[in-house]
Amino acid sequence: MTKNEDRELIKRARSGDATAFEALANTYYETMFKMAYKFCGNRQDAEDITQDSCIRLARGLHTFKGDSAFTSWLYRLVINTAKDWYKSNNRHPKSDEGLETAQISAQGDDQLYAKQVIAAVYELPDGERDALLLVMSEGLSHKEAGQILGCKESTISWRIHEARKKLGALFEKEQKYG
Amino acid sequence: MDEAKLKKILENIEAPAPDENARKTAVNLAVAEFKSLENQRKNTPQGNSIWARLTNKTTQTRSNPMQQKSKQRLMYGGMATAMAVILIVGITTQQTMVNTVGHDAMQAAKLKKITFETDGDAAAIAMDSLAEATEESSPAYVASIQESNEAETTASAAPTSMAAPVGRLTANQAKVSRSFAGAGADASRMMMVESMPYAPPPHVVPLPEPINPYYQEEGRDKFQDFKPSPVKLVADEPVSTFSIDVDTASYSLVRRELNNGIIPNPDAVRIEELVNYFDYNYPLPETREQPFKPTVTVTDSPWSKDKKLVHIGIKGFDVQTDSKPHSNLVFLVDVSGSMNSPDKLPLVKSSLKMLLDTLQPNDTVALTVYAGSAGTVLEPTKVSDKQTILNAIDNLNAGGSTAGAAGIEEAYRLAEKHFDKEGVNRVFIATDGDFNVGVSSDEDLKTIIEKKRESGIFLSVLGFGLGNLNDSLMQTLAQNGNGTAAYIDTINEARKVLVEEASSTLFPIAKDVKIQVEFNPELVQEYRLIGYETRALNREDFNNDKIDAGDIGAGHTVTAIYEITPAGVKGSVDPSRYAAKKEAVKPGSEFSNELGFLKMRYKLPHENESKLISTPIPVDAGAPNADITWATAVAGFGQLLKGDTHIGNFTYDDVIKMANEAKGADEFGQRAEFINLVRNAKVAAGK
Repeated sequence: MTKNEDRELIKRARSGDATAFEALANTYYETMFKMAYKFCGNRQDAEDITQDSCIRLARGLHTFKGDSAFTSWLYRLVINTAKDWYKSNNRHPKSDEGLETAQISAQGDDQLYAKQVIAAVYELPDGERDALLLVMSEGLSHKEAGQILGCKESTISWRIHEARKKLGALFEKEQKYG
Repeated sequence: MDEAKLKKILENIEAPAPDENARKTAVNLAVAEFKSLENQRKNTPQGNSIWARLTNKTTQTRSNPMQQKSKQRLMYGGMATAMAVILIVGITTQQTMVNTVGHDAMQAAKLKKITFETDGDAAAIAMDSLAEATEESSPAYVASIQESNEAETTASAAPTSMAAPVGRLTANQAKVSRSFAGAGADASRMMMVESMPYAPPPHVVPLPEPINPYYQEEGRDKFQDFKPSPVKLVADEPVSTFSIDVDTASYSLVRRELNNGIIPNPDAVRIEELVNYFDYNYPLPETREQPFKPTVTVTDSPWSKDKKLVHIGIKGFDVQTDSKPHSNLVFLVDVSGSMNSPDKLPLVKSSLKMLLDTLQPNDTVALTVYAGSAGTVLEPTKVSDKQTILNAIDNLNAGGSTAGAAGIEEAYRLAEKHFDKEGVNRVFIATDGDFNVGVSSDEDLKTIIEKKRESGIFLSVLGFGLGNLNDSLMQTLAQNGNGTAAYIDTINEARKVLVEEASSTLFPIAKDVKIQVEFNPELVQEYRLIGYETRALNREDFNNDKIDAGDIGAGHTVTAIYEITPAGVKGSVDPSRYAAKKEAVKPGSEFSNELGFLKMRYKLPHENESKLISTPIPVDAGAPNADITWATAVAGFGQLLKGDTHIGNFTYDDVIKMANEAKGADEFGQRAEFINLVRNAKVAAGK
């Protein structure tokens, strides 16, 4: 679907067209699910969070004014939903190794290593994990990540630095000597 | 750690493809929400005042920058209009309160107050729209704003109240005042502020301590214990009598336990409530004189060879939106210490707000709470004055012990005060069922409720939380007080009970509905009623109008299933050696085509004399369809969970197979969810 068609859908949905909203929700469900999945690392939570996000989308679409890209706006929505969701369920995101491991394209030892790194990433403090995922995994700039997470560009840089330091302490040695 | 390497690993996290069912469910839910919001929007007047103007400033952080910015703009706006602006900045160790009093030359104008839904983002918007209003310099208002920036506390106090709709700001343009969910200001204080004729310089009220982290009780849930109904010989006891049950509490409880990987306590499984959780397309009565009509279907039993199942299905007619009677509702909310957990009080608040959205502007709502003592937080208020109600709900906080009985008395008193003979009068109790001050035994509370029943007020019991849930008390209350019980574990369940089924929750179409079936010994030798153990009645109770029974709401469906053993095949019970052989009814007699005779008694909501519906049950009644298969699968599941001994080799896999065949359109994913639960149960049971 092209950008223009999306824009048209958003416009129609905002003016109260339920069919347009349904089409929009269907179009972006996958995007939202993938965002949610990255932030929680397992399917069950991701589905729940995406469902909540869809409902929030229905409630909040009128606050989208088109001054940022729709996907960044959606990011914010999904991330905030995920945060609230974890808060209300009193839990913490956890990559679920046993049931549904994130698919990793690397092979053999590399794959095991990657799994460990990802598991460690999910153990990071929320702010650092979110920043790291947005920048490293989604390829956003520090500025964009800042807008989505509601903090300054420099905060993002600092959080990523912190996160790398922590991951480094965990993995560097093993790599060198192991 | 090597950046390139880390980047490569993280880039390669790939989310799996989303599940088609999950997507359908989510999109359907969202579209439903979208439509209901759209309807609401259409019903609110257009052209909002500048006070309520929507802005896109939601992207602000929740911390200090917001305050500073608003402060600057207020000052700027003030100068631009040659207004005197007084800024009082009070900083305490715990929180910052900014109190701003703006004066205008034309002070004669009336005091305006705005009442906002409180939420971190909404707070930001409110500040901004106010600042902008001042900038544009038109209003001649004296505004008093009490602002406290406890966004974090607020958010954690009401985690389930999802994104406060900004549209709420539109209501009540003429009132501006502000209070916070997290601030814990009690509603009486709030109302006092509102009724003041002139705004004095606002005084800084110290906020109470933030709520302690919640505690979670475990293993103190109370259930009434009961045995599955036994097989009965038609020769000994040809008549079976029971009260209908439209509650669904048991299903939600079972779901919650199974989702945690636990097989629920057998006493928590009430099979009829599992079956009745789902909606079935039974035919409606032709005329409205008769509120419902029974549909009887006979099928083969999937778990016993040679046996048959008799399904009795009832669907009540639905009330049209325009003919909905006026409602007089009283919410009784348990705010005792045990309610202090995210799945309790915050969920209660969200649920009540959802319910509020389904009401008509003319309906009245009152709010009472009980903890150590009982008190009225909100006198009966018209729904058109929605902000006042929302504020009162937001101001609820948990703490203290539980004087439930006093709360019930108070709630009924309020309902009686505004009793509407023509309308619907209903008390909603939201509780975890833990009553520990004053009258607290099930029996004594039952006596209170039975007395109240005479007044014509209906009761809905909404159960929340787990760990300390008193299911048996909830059932006692609902069964004896012309009431229903539902258990609410998630926001989606709240939606199902309070929004999708609002009309059946609110509008009873018949009360004291009893069912009596007499089996024909010529064709049936044994029968067994599946479920309804807690609803059994004596044979003579059927015609006694003083005996209370279940109520049916608009659009409710009720299903009852009997398993019967036809005459001539080997039954579960050996025939008696000494009983005299009765002369069998001759084949070809008047009744040789009837398995039995079904009688139902009900009263219309405002009447005290019962009416009778009766119909014979032919041998080949009805045609099996997907709904019947579904109900059978659910009943089978319930019996498996209870460890019922009558279902032979029937397994969870059989349930899944049957359910998959009968799933149908499943618009809101409830049936898909059921199938998942069966899988969970299979894993939890290790089978």
